[in-house]
Amino acid sequence: MKPVISIVLLLPPSTAYEKLDLVAHNILSGMSKMLESGKVRFSIFMDGPTLEAANRAARPLMFGRFKRAIEEDYLEILGGGYHDPMLPLFPSELQAMQLDEHRKLLWKHFSIEPSGYFNSSMVWEMEMTELLEKNRFEYALVQESALQDALGRTTPVSGWYSVEDKGSFLRVVPVSESLSQAIENDDFQWQEIAEPYCRGGKTAVVALDIPPKPGDIVPFFERLIDFVETNDLQTKTVSSVVNEQSSEGRISFLLSAGRRIGLPSKAKTCRELLVRRPEVNLLHKSLLSLFRRADANLQGKEKQEFFQQLLPAMSPIFYRDLPSGEGMRSPMVRWWGSRFLLKAANQLAEMSSFDGIRLEIADFMLEGRKLIWAENHDYSFMLDYFGGGVLRILNTKASEVSMLGAWRDDGEPALGFMDFMLPNSDFSASKLDLMLSDREGVLCSPYDYQIKRHDDGTDIQLLSEQHFALGEQKGLVHVGKEYGLAAAGSDFTLSYNVQNTAFAPFKGFFGTLIETSLLACGEKKGGIKIDGKELVFDFREPLIYPDAKSVEIHDKTTSSHLRFDFEQPVALLVAPLFSASASAAPEDIQGVCLFPFWKISLAGTEEQTFKLSAHISKR
Amino acid sequence: MKSDLIDIQVESRGNDVEISLSGSLGFPQFSAVKEKLAMLVDGPGCFFFLNLQNAHFTSDHYIDFFLELLSRVKSQKSTLILIFYSEELYKYFERYQNIFEIYETRAAYKKSGTKKQLQQIGIHYGSRSGISLSPSVAVSFLALMLGLFVTLFIIVSIQGHDISDKQAQIIALQNQKERYIREIDKLESSIGPLRKLGVIQDTTMLSSFGLIQDWVGYLEYLENTRLEK
Repeated sequence: MKPVISIVLLLPPSTAYEKLDLVAHNILSGMSKMLESGKVRFSIFMDGPTLEAANRAARPLMFGRFKRAIEEDYLEILGGGYHDPMLPLFPSELQAMQLDEHRKLLWKHFSIEPSGYFNSSMVWEMEMTELLEKNRFEYALVQESALQDALGRTTPVSGWYSVEDKGSFLRVVPVSESLSQAIENDDFQWQEIAEPYCRGGKTAVVALDIPPKPGDIVPFFERLIDFVETNDLQTKTVSSVVNEQSSEGRISFLLSAGRRIGLPSKAKTCRELLVRRPEVNLLHKSLLSLFRRADANLQGKEKQEFFQQLLPAMSPIFYRDLPSGEGMRSPMVRWWGSRFLLKAANQLAEMSSFDGIRLEIADFMLEGRKLIWAENHDYSFMLDYFGGGVLRILNTKASEVSMLGAWRDDGEPALGFMDFMLPNSDFSASKLDLMLSDREGVLCSPYDYQIKRHDDGTDIQLLSEQHFALGEQKGLVHVGKEYGLAAAGSDFTLSYNVQNTAFAPFKGFFGTLIETSLLACGEKKGGIKIDGKELVFDFREPLIYPDAKSVEIHDKTTSSHLRFDFEQPVALLVAPLFSASASAAPEDIQGVCLFPFWKISLAGTEEQTFKLSAHISKR
Repeated sequence: MKSDLIDIQVESRGNDVEISLSGSLGFPQFSAVKEKLAMLVDGPGCFFFLNLQNAHFTSDHYIDFFLELLSRVKSQKSTLILIFYSEELYKYFERYQNIFEIYETRAAYKKSGTKKQLQQIGIHYGSRSGISLSPSVAVSFLALMLGLFVTLFIIVSIQGHDISDKQAQIIALQNQKERYIREIDKLESSIGPLRKLGVIQDTTMLSSFGLIQDWVGYLEYLENTRLEK
């Protein structure tokens, strides 16, 4: 008996950012070929931007032919989120908006309401049952492995199962991963793999990725037609499978971490990504913070308009631990993501007529401790006073760039103004870089904060006793760290008052580390200047510049400029930051790290002060 | 850590300072709220808006503290406005509704009376600068300033008229001069051939003393012309 197969075609999300019009044009050509062959019935999922591009690229009467094919059950267009997001990560209002936007688009172009829900990441959590039922979906496609886990078996699963949650009901259809892979790789044993799925007249559902390169798309469709014709296969749309077959049983609990998001196979939910990757978490929490602020301050239509601005930042490309344009390991992808959010943040500031200084102390990262969010008209930053008074975020509003968005090897977030106390010895630049990467001598005890408002602006004063250990030597210093914000202008100052609280004298170096994401994409030449002169830097080996009075980084690609002026001359380490895949691609630079450090010599109870000012602008 | 217990937001813009408290505020948070609010009102600002809409009070200690805060703000010659619209909070502040200024939003307060707010700004800056003026003195000072400005404006406009008249005269005179020059040129060109023929003697040259070298000849010439007449 020949197996019956239901083919689901999908596009990887990264396609949405490159040559989309050409991609859409070729998909339409491929779809037309499939329909013209008259032998292939298939389901397809296209996200909102692809559908819009398809509408622009479609030849006359093409969409009419697709509509007829839908009526004749040759074609099924699946529904989902407008930007194909992993819905469980986001607030329900944004989830509903994503589904609603996509549904409206399908209605506009094809006059249909989708009955099937598809998400290319294949993420599933039980809360989605209620959401999808409310949005009039009848079934959802899920990973076969998730159903196997739920059923407690390892044998192939096909047909459809029912799930219920909070009184809502939905059908879930497993997508066979092994069969999809076999067909994708032209495995000649595919019929043997398909056999157990199709036993008892059932249909196996396979999901095939359309290649992201425009030139590969039409040949992909031709190969698929050839595959169906050669094997004389019977194909069906997924909706007809659901309608024709009866339930295989009920599932009490279903959970799927999804696929191709860079998580290990043992991961249970997509939230694992937020725990593992601080850069993804930061983007996610920034989005949530904007959502909450808009929810509290805006009303009605204005609120809905603002939420629309947040939708692109929900795209799965920003929630994947994948390199080279497919996920957040790429500095370009991180830049795109933060740009969407900063654009939205600027709009929110405009809508709420914000002009001045705003400080907010709240649990932004949803990890049970407060952080300070500070912003004026030109920049915003998030200060972790509990974790050593470091900046977790530093955004420039004019050029919409997050300046601390570097990706670190060890899964730790990139930070700004992390302080170190180092021993009094001669360091080579690479040794110092290594010590900083290992966080040796870091001053990270919690600070208590004070906010001092005055006529020229606002100061955030942090005070704490900081312990440090340098080999055998242990020390204790009292550190006063003060961020001074001006009401207008793009400058802020950072002053330190370091007092030796021990009786024993201490000699060493005190410095502060800034891990910027600047110069990670595009042109790097002439990007770093010290005391106004271009620094000869190969972006491979770190170097130490003695007695610098100012340092500036000018990133032409992101149109952003960062300058630090030091009150006293300072030794400055400039080092490149490489990604986790550094061994495979050492040229994959993720940012530039600056470490200004001063010589410190303190007798018992003596104190020393240091000051720098930061200037952030668009160039 | 005390400061880690509360969600607080402060937004300063010019004379306005909006402080928002949110979350559940009970006895454990009381000292942190007290410390942080006291710190935040201790700075510039004429209108302190305390937004409590997203706060939920689980202890009645806060009422007394807000009364203290009100008197503290008043002593700085500033004003404290509570912002909320929930029934629960109206109930919480029920007994002191006449003492506190309560508005639904900051915009609602701004619409509630410009005169009152101007007066408040006057009192505030009066206390900060040490200069206090009674309303009548302020009005007369304002009238005096206004009068000065009006006079200045009139003088400037009269002078402006004068200047434009003079400019018009200059232009007219310049035009006239140009016209005369043109006419002279025309006349000179019409008598040019006659002069070449020697029919007409050019007397204009004689007017110039620089050209007269023979004084005796010149005096004879004058005498002859006189005799001819």
